[in-house]
Amino acid sequence: MPKQKYLCIQRSQSGKSAKPSPAQMEEMYAKFHAWKEKFQKNIVDMGGKLGSGKVVTSKGETDGPFVEAKEVVGGFMIVSAESLEEAMEVARECPGVVMPGSSVEVREIHTS
Amino acid sequence: MTTPRLVAHFFRHEYGRLVATLSRRVGPGYIEDVEDAVQSALMTALETWTIAGLPDNPPAWLFRVAHNNLMGELRRRKGRRRILEQNVREDIGTLESGPEIFLAGEVPDDLLRMLFVCCDDAIPVESQLVLALKTLCGFSIREIALRLFASEDNVYKRLGRARSCLRELPLRPEELTGEQYSSRLPAIHKILYLVFTEGYLSSHAEMAVRRELCDEAIRLATILAEHPAGQAPETFALLALMHLHAARMTARQDSSGGLLLLEEQERGLWDQQGIRVGLEWLAKSAQGDSFSRYHAEAGIAAEHCLAPSFQETRWDKVVECYALLERIAPSAIHKLNRAVAVAEWQGPAEGLAVLKGFEPPTWLAGSYIWAAVLADLHRRCGNAHTANCYRDVACKSAPTPAVKELLQRRLQIGRPG
Repeated sequence: MPKQKYLCIQRSQSGKSAKPSPAQMEEMYAKFHAWKEKFQKNIVDMGGKLGSGKVVTSKGETDGPFVEAKEVVGGFMIVSAESLEEAMEVARECPGVVMPGSSVEVREIHTS
Repeated sequence: MTTPRLVAHFFRHEYGRLVATLSRRVGPGYIEDVEDAVQSALMTALETWTIAGLPDNPPAWLFRVAHNNLMGELRRRKGRRRILEQNVREDIGTLESGPEIFLAGEVPDDLLRMLFVCCDDAIPVESQLVLALKTLCGFSIREIALRLFASEDNVYKRLGRARSCLRELPLRPEELTGEQYSSRLPAIHKILYLVFTEGYLSSHAEMAVRRELCDEAIRLATILAEHPAGQAPETFALLALMHLHAARMTARQDSSGGLLLLEEQERGLWDQQGIRVGLEWLAKSAQGDSFSRYHAEAGIAAEHCLAPSFQETRWDKVVECYALLERIAPSAIHKLNRAVAVAEWQGPAEGLAVLKGFEPPTWLAGSYIWAAVLADLHRRCGNAHTANCYRDVACKSAPTPAVKELLQRRLQIGRPG
């Protein structure tokens, strides 16, 4: 397994998006399945969906700046790759990214 | 870390199953809430399962989530109402009893019950069709519009009509009596037949899309045939005709998607297993004293399936079945089909004689089918001029390029007839 780890932060447009139909969900599930198989060696942690939360600062707690944002962070995952390019390749083909209005930010995780 | 595959159409079919099961519990009047609850349960499943993998029992997992969604929504609403108008009691049925262990044996019963609900005669037939495709097959409005060649607006309106009828229904589906079950059976046959023919006769470019509707019709008809409430010779005949048609479906197209005439089809491509299943249902349908239009149509399909070649088809039997069909379900299209079969059996002049003096209704006279048959019969009788006139009409009103291409090929003057 490649050494370097990357954090992928998934963002999507806030507000309502069209609900996928069951047939579309079938297709999405199948695509996800294929994607996971293809990049099996790169996926360290599938991460998860992020729920709502609060921001803690020295001044106290707020609902956070993120509720005002047009884009919301929806989820994260950790992949390993030899290079940023390779990590981006994994992210680019992830079915969750192809949804209109969504994006994935790929950041190298420095551990030493 | 692999994502196990789910059975084909898992989401669509689970949608149908859950909508059926939950509507039985709360009553079909709440169908929109039920559909919303199921939709979001599937969405949660998609998000969770792709990350964490499949649970041990996916259907039970879905049922629990959908049930909780629905209960939460109905409770919220009940709470709001209580504040607005005090002492209002809203009956939300047996839902409060909580999720029970999901029993697999319940499924066909629920789906079937929902099918009977969809076919309530208070609901217009075109709305019944849309309601069944939406609730039982799990198609979205856009997908239904695509398959029925209707606008989304139109589908939405038809669905809305069905839903408002459902809200006014006095009965919960479990309260349907045995008598109501049997009196609704013809309506159910009609809807299943419609779903099938929408797929089979569709000029949709993609074979897979058309095949899907046929498969849905077969799936629901099989559930019907296996249930005491649906066991009738007509049900078996309907299933026979579906299988016997579906078995030949792929052979109707050439490799580039063009349509092929029966005589051009590669009979080796016909699905022999499907034909066998169809013939079994046909044998089973030969009981009692009823001979329905489905019997006649299955009989015709069986003759074609069993014929070793186009020339060796028992055209006399085909003609006989068409004559029966005409008597049971009088329609100009059946007469036209009989004329075609007679032409194969006794010659084109005899075929024309069947149509002599017959005034086709406007819907048929204006369609390419009528013009194409007359063009073909006249061409084979050597009446080149009349044949040409009809051919031009046929080609002009062809609904798709594939049909037009087929007509031009078939109706060429000078082609051996």
